[in-house]
This record gives sequence, structure tokens and C-alpha cells, in this order.
Amino acid sequence: MKAKDLMVPLSDYLSPDSTVEEAVRLLISAKRGERRTGVKGLPVLNASGKAVGMLTMRDILRAVLPSYMSLMNLGDFTWDGMLEEMARRVSGKKIGEIMNPEVTSVGEDAPLMECVDHMIKGNFKRLPVVDAAGKVVGMLYERDIFLTITKAMHTGQTDGHE
Amino acid sequence: MIPGAEGTSGLSTDTSFWIATAVFILSYATIVSERVHKTIVALAGASLMLVFRILEQHEAFRLEEFGVDWNVIFLLIAMMVIINIMRPTGVFEYIAIKSAKWGKGRPFRIMVIFAVVTAVLSAFLDNVTTVLLISPVTLLIADALEVDPIPYLISCALASNIGGTATLIGDPPNIMIASRAHLTFMDFIYNLAPIVVVIMVFYLLVIRLIWGRKLRSRDELKERIMGMDEKEAIKDPVMLWKSLFVLAVVLVGFVFHGTLHFQPATVALFGASLLLLLSGNKEPHKVFAEVEWPTIFFFIGLFIIVGGVVKVGLIEWMSVKVIELTRGSMLATSMVVMWFSAFASAIVDNIPYVATMNPLIIDMAHRIWPHETGLSLLQHADLMPIWWSLALGACLGGNGSAIGASANVIVVGMSEKAGRRISFVKFVLYGLPIMVMTVAIATAYVWVRYYILR
Repeated sequence: MKAKDLMVPLSDYLSPDSTVEEAVRLLISAKRGERRTGVKGLPVLNASGKAVGMLTMRDILRAVLPSYMSLMNLGDFTWDGMLEEMARRVSGKKIGEIMNPEVTSVGEDAPLMECVDHMIKGNFKRLPVVDAAGKVVGMLYERDIFLTITKAMHTGQTDGHE
Repeated sequence: MIPGAEGTSGLSTDTSFWIATAVFILSYATIVSERVHKTIVALAGASLMLVFRILEQHEAFRLEEFGVDWNVIFLLIAMMVIINIMRPTGVFEYIAIKSAKWGKGRPFRIMVIFAVVTAVLSAFLDNVTTVLLISPVTLLIADALEVDPIPYLISCALASNIGGTATLIGDPPNIMIASRAHLTFMDFIYNLAPIVVVIMVFYLLVIRLIWGRKLRSRDELKERIMGMDEKEAIKDPVMLWKSLFVLAVVLVGFVFHGTLHFQPATVALFGASLLLLLSGNKEPHKVFAEVEWPTIFFFIGLFIIVGGVVKVGLIEWMSVKVIELTRGSMLATSMVVMWFSAFASAIVDNIPYVATMNPLIIDMAHRIWPHETGLSLLQHADLMPIWWSLALGACLGGNGSAIGASANVIVVGMSEKAGRRISFVKFVLYGLPIMVMTVAIATAYVWVRYYILR
């Protein structure tokens, strides 16, 4: 099986110039499978459909955490309401400022092992799948690869018994 | 006529002089332009000095006169190792939170306490480390009180440059001066610490004039600070006690290193290795990885570049010019050194500046007292005020601009990351007048103590 056989065709994506608030709204309502139940990460595409970054729930959490807190151990010295306040501060920022600009995408014909290799080494849970022109055509999810692995093990086991 | 050194390996004296001078000027200009990272420039310049055989490798690596000052290098590395082991204990978070609570959540009171704590810490740790440890807490407290963090950040950076002036280990220029002039930790305490305390008092009065009435917070926000429990900051109490013990040993070592005839680097290395042993660390990789190697290699490169121009006689030529300018008057020299150093350090990094000035002052001393050698030359009674003027000017001058000292650069960067840009002009607006005031106080001090009262 190849990347294109397992990917979910592209439906929702972000633009680097939209605000974080808009991103949050889309993450919460994006299509997951057949239903609109929200996703944990979306690709950020430029006007020509190429991936310029990825934005995940974690990236938003990271943006809400003040920069000074990552420099020292100050977690014990925060207060009630601080998170909400910081969230309001971040809401107007551009997606381009907080997204992860190091995006790793795979070709439509990439073998699944190559996809797993990228996921493990880059700590990604989803990869954009691009066509020959570099346009994003779909997303490949960790969970779907996991299901493929489950199937393979299952058939492997029955093969062994036969 | 250019005063010559002996011709080196085939190149005529004249050619060596111009090559070394070109490498020196090119390196310093590139460092100032910030087009290439300063460490890379310093190492490239140093290697050119070797490739062109201005310096032989053994001169660069082994001779005190032309080469790397390992006393400075190992003192810096050892102090960085000690701090790297202490950081995870949480002691610095503890000090900062305790200070904020001591300020009772009142914005200006907290600013004063932070400035004093920063100054005291800077006197014993390097300024960059201090600012890296205090600024994040400053930003947190400003958020808690819902006040503008910029005044806190600027006042911390300025205080760290003032505090660092007080001791031998407080600021790199002092470490370099101490090493070349063989001055002790206590020499700095006797000669610089008293005036730094006076300068600090004036500084606090000035920040009160600037910000004393502007900073306001609400009572319910003060509760956020008072509700913090600083004890929660301590993550490793056992390691903390071990660190404090070693720090005390190192401090005692610094106080007596002159009497016991140990170099400061010996004391610091002893402390660092003792703490490494006590920490039971089986994988010291991380502690060493966190040493600021770019800074260390910046020093190494600069020492070699300056060694090159010392050898070919450029520094000698410059010292002759300085003597001509001041007509040999030590008071005039002292004042010129103080103010020139201050403005030079506000514009360029004070580390390359002092690296150049040290051999220049020694050369000047050779000319003025041709019959003296060793300590009686380096610590000639008439030369001492020049060293102190260099230290005061170079350290306090760092406050003059946003790029005058590494601490300022760090604070500006951190503020920008937190979404609050401090423009170059804004920093200069506060920093420059304060620099002029502190250097003026220092000038009066040097004049009165070393020329009137002596």
C-alpha cells in the first residue's frame, strides 16, 4: 500500500495569514472522516496549495505558554485565570507566527514505511501527501497506518497457523 | 616610522605589520557589523594570524605575551560549570520569587529589589547568566501585576552591568584585566566595590525619578504574588546545599587567592571539580554541553588576533600615540581611558576592546618606567588608577546602548520574544544618560581617591 491509498483527501486547511482564533475555530469543527468533529492538526497552505507549515493543538498550547516560562521552572508560580488571559493575547496572532514551519510531506506514491520513518523521526502524527507539482492532495494519519499494521499482524498470524 | 618587531619567517617586518593590522581591523569591523557571528570572525581572524605566520602556533597557544590567556578561559568555563549544576536545583527561581514577595507585590518596590538582587548576583556570576536567571521571573511578575515589563527588563540589564563592575569575576573585562595585571579578587573589592555601591544608590534614585510614580497595580493583583510559595521552587534540596557549600568554598578561595598565591582560575576549577564530584553525576555531558562555547571560543580567537598585532608592533604604535596625546600625564591618561572606554564599550563589545587595551597599557607602562619589570611594573602605584579607569569605563560603558553589553542584548531579545519590542533608541534613551552619570561618578572617584587623596 502507498500513501495515496491510505490518505484522507484534503478538505480543511489553514492559511498563514489567518489569525490563531480562526485556526482554533477550524480545528474544532474540521472534518474527521465523515463527520465534523474536529481534528488535532491541520496543514497550513499558501495560495498555490503548497504546504508551508503545520499547526497542531500542541502548537497552540505552546503559543499560549509565555516565552519566559520555557526559560525557567516557573510552573509553580502561576495563577488562576492566567491561561485564559494568555489565550486572549495569542488569539490575534497570525498562524504564520506560531505554526511549525518545518513541514515534512510525502509523495502520493511513497511507501508506508517511508511515512512511518518520517513520523517517528520528526515526531509527527500526520503528514501532508503531495502530488507531483507539490500541491497538497491529502493527509496521512498515524492512526490509519496503525490500523494497517494491525491488519498485517492479524493476517500474518492466521498465515502462520495455516 | 613604524616600530618594528623582528621579521617573521621570510616576510619583511613591514609586510607582517600590514597583514596583521589588516586582519585585526577587518576582524573587528566584521564583528561590529554583525554580518557574521562574532565567534566565527574571531576564530577566522586568529587562524589568519597563524596561517600568515604573524604568530607561530606555540606563541599563540603557549606564550602569555602573545597568546591565549588560559587563566581567563578556565575561570569562565569553571564558573559556567558551577552555575550549570546549580540551575536545576531551583535556587535562582527561589531567590527571584522571594524578592518579589519581599517587595510586597508593590510594583516599584519590586523593581528596586530586583535591581539590587541583579546587581549583587552580577557581581558574583557573569552578567549574561544573571540576566538570563532574573528576566524570565521579571516578565512573570509584570504579567501578574499587569504592568509594563519593559521598565523592569531595562532596569535589570543596567543594574547587572553596574553590579558586575564590582568584582574580579563580575564582568569579563575585569577577569581579563585582573589576569594581565595580576590583580587579586580583594584588589577589586577594595578599589571598585565601594564606588559601585555609591553608583548603585544614585542609580536607584534615578530609576525612582523615571518610574517611581508610573508603575501602579491593583490590590487583588498583588495577591497573586503574595500567594506564591517560593519553597516550591526548590527541586533538589540536597544538591542545593552541596552547591551552596562549594560556592562558599570558592568565595573564600577568591578572598584569599592573592595571599595563598593561587590564580583565580585555580580556585574556580577546584570549585567546579569539587561540585562535579559531590553531584555524583555519572554523565557530565549535559553540564559541559551547556557551557557557552561560542563565548569561550570568541575569547580564544580574540586573544590570538590581539597577540598578532602586539607582536608586529601595532599596539606599541598606538600606545606611543596615547602618550603623545596625554603628554605623559597619568591623570589625563586615566580620564581619557575612562571616557574613551565607556563610549567604545557602548558601541562595540567590551571584550575585544579590553583585549586590545590590556597590552596597550602594559606597553605604555614599559615606556614610562623602562627600568621596572614584573609586578613592580604591572602594579606601579601610578599605573593602578589606569587599570581601575579601564575597568570602570569598559564595564559601565556597556549601559550606553542596546548592544553595549551582552546582558542588554539578551534582555532586548527576551522582551521581543514576549511580544514587547524595546527599540534601540528606547534603550539608549534610558541607558546613555545613566551611563554618563555613572561614569561621571566613577571619574570623580578616581580623581579624588587616586590623585587628590594619595
